Amino acid sequence: MTLPHPRRRLSRLVNIGVPYLWLGLFFLLPFAIVLRISIAEPALAQPPYTALWEWVGDGVLAVQLNFQNFMLVVQDELYLAAFLNSLLVALVCTVLCLLLGYPMAYAIATSSARWRVPLLLLIVLPFWTSFLIRVYAWMGILKQNGLLNNFLMWLGVINEPLAILHTQLAVYIGVVYSYLPFMILPLYANLTRLDFSLLEAAADLGCRPWRAFLKITLPLSLPGIIAGSMLVFIPVVGEFVIPDLLGGPQSLMVGKMLWTEFFSNKDWPLASALAVVLLALLVVPFVLMQRLGQRLDDAAEAHTR
Amino acid sequence: MAIPDQRRTLEPWQDPEAAPYVRIERVTKKFGDVYAVDDVSLNIYQGEFFSLLGSSGCGKSTLLRLLGGFEQPTLGRIYIDGTDVTDIPPYARPVNMMFQSYALFPHMSVEQNVAFGLKQDRMPRAERAERVGELLALLKVEELRKRKPDQLSGGQRQRVALARSLARHPKLLLLDEPLGALDKRLRENTQFELVNLQERLGITFVTVTHDQEEAMTMSTRIAVMDVGRIMQVDTPTAIYEYPNSRFVARFIGSVNLFEGKVAALDGDQVLVQSRLGRSMRMRCLYPLALGTPVTVAVRPEKIRPCADYREDGVNQLKGVVEDIAYLGDVSIYRVRVGERADPSSRIVEMTLTNIQPRTEQALTWEQEVAMEWAPTSGVVLPE
Repeated sequence: MTLPHPRRRLSRLVNIGVPYLWLGLFFLLPFAIVLRISIAEPALAQPPYTALWEWVGDGVLAVQLNFQNFMLVVQDELYLAAFLNSLLVALVCTVLCLLLGYPMAYAIATSSARWRVPLLLLIVLPFWTSFLIRVYAWMGILKQNGLLNNFLMWLGVINEPLAILHTQLAVYIGVVYSYLPFMILPLYANLTRLDFSLLEAAADLGCRPWRAFLKITLPLSLPGIIAGSMLVFIPVVGEFVIPDLLGGPQSLMVGKMLWTEFFSNKDWPLASALAVVLLALLVVPFVLMQRLGQRLDDAAEAHTR
Repeated sequence: MAIPDQRRTLEPWQDPEAAPYVRIERVTKKFGDVYAVDDVSLNIYQGEFFSLLGSSGCGKSTLLRLLGGFEQPTLGRIYIDGTDVTDIPPYARPVNMMFQSYALFPHMSVEQNVAFGLKQDRMPRAERAERVGELLALLKVEELRKRKPDQLSGGQRQRVALARSLARHPKLLLLDEPLGALDKRLRENTQFELVNLQERLGITFVTVTHDQEEAMTMSTRIAVMDVGRIMQVDTPTAIYEYPNSRFVARFIGSVNLFEGKVAALDGDQVLVQSRLGRSMRMRCLYPLALGTPVTVAVRPEKIRPCADYREDGVNQLKGVVEDIAYLGDVSIYRVRVGERADPSSRIVEMTLTNIQPRTEQALTWEQEVAMEWAPTSGVVLPE
């Protein structure tokens, strides 16, 4: 082994250092601030929370760590319900996006080269309109006297308008619509790399198409499925705009809760505690999953030796 | 029938009573406006090692894929073992294929790859394990059984792919450029192994290759293809010694072609007046009319230096050595017949075995040399 050249060492340091610096500056530092606020108490001040420490005279430094916010978040059934509902909505929407997105990604990946770019463009096209405007458009479609109800009544399928807007159903529709591209794009990227001669080989070995899909295509597209699911699941758990605009009073989600605590109740510490718990809730399962994946890989490697 | 017994078993295509195992009947495959396979009819017999030979784009791979069921013929029918399989999907055909890319499943171990087809057939676990063991032993890849395809070398992958395609004991195995991805040395060794394996298992092999040497070494018969058509089907010897067209003669090995006209007929021999102004007497086993334009094809190794050159000599040429390609075992002499400035002059190739070391040989550059060949050393081809 040769010793690393000083200049090469420097460039390595820069290569590794820059992303870490970025993460530190724009993720760790803000998170530390949020964490710090979460253990304060709300106060009528600017900023609206108490200081972490205070000189109380005689050389005494009083440090106040207030964990009541966390106690409240964990114990109050309202917050628990909001968390559970957020996770449920995220889970259901991820599954729906997967069920809708997989066939679409597959169709694009297997279409002729001439069609691929226009089809992909159609998937990305909605991004050219503001997200907010698109959600508002859904309000217009789903409302009592909206496009969907009028159309269904014109068809004669229903006699009186359905109450869709401001229900959980509207949240599902809005979320699935908004996040579908995030599922399709990673799946497409994965499926275009699939070697279709593998499917021919499977057929050659007596495997029917559906079984070949389950045995070959699905396991090989697992990285795409995981990437797409994460891209949908994580932001949907904290989603605020869609439940706020399309959801009703019963569509309680953490994002909305957080917003209320922060802006309406001006309770920054409680909002921060909610944010910290949300992050913990999202990070822990994924770290565990990654650990598990790593262990599986290691086991496979050890097995082969 | 007067066919000797041995011939009947070794060369079933000579036996009019033998039923072909694979029958391709007037099959055409069009992609858009392009004829990939153009009205091909072919019979392949049980136990054959049959090669489809041609340059890339000649339709050989398409023909193989039609046999495997991965393409549907535009016209025509395909029969395997007497059954019309034209409309049967690949997973229901009694055929297995070894893919050019090997198409090993990357997420499965060697063992799982080989067992895949057996699992589809719902073979009981114990029997399956035994079969997989046998195949891995047969192809000498037992110690790799737990590895994933990306942990294998090219040669190992080829063996695993072969084991996988043999696992279901197919009666017919299709091989798409089976040795294409291997280096030359490995390829030569594997050629013989493949033939041994095929003889031992008694499976009918149909292989696609662009490598004529490979086809010559391994095949019982070769079909030479060009632009979707079959140009000639015959044994390697017949293809080489008795090509039926200029295309086949040039495609396999190198050949000297002399254009001319039939000047006289004499039993099974014809006298051809060549454009070089020399007469050539060749054996010809089919009838020709006087004056017919023909091509005399003579392989370079069948031409030898001649001691008694005569101005009116038959099957004799004289020229000047222009180039010598020394290949170790043989040397190829490129001899110009006629004046170099004369556009009708041409190069004739003569291959001589290097009996003496190269430095001891008399024949050298710019030297005049007379050459000759025997009437049976070549063929007369229709123009």
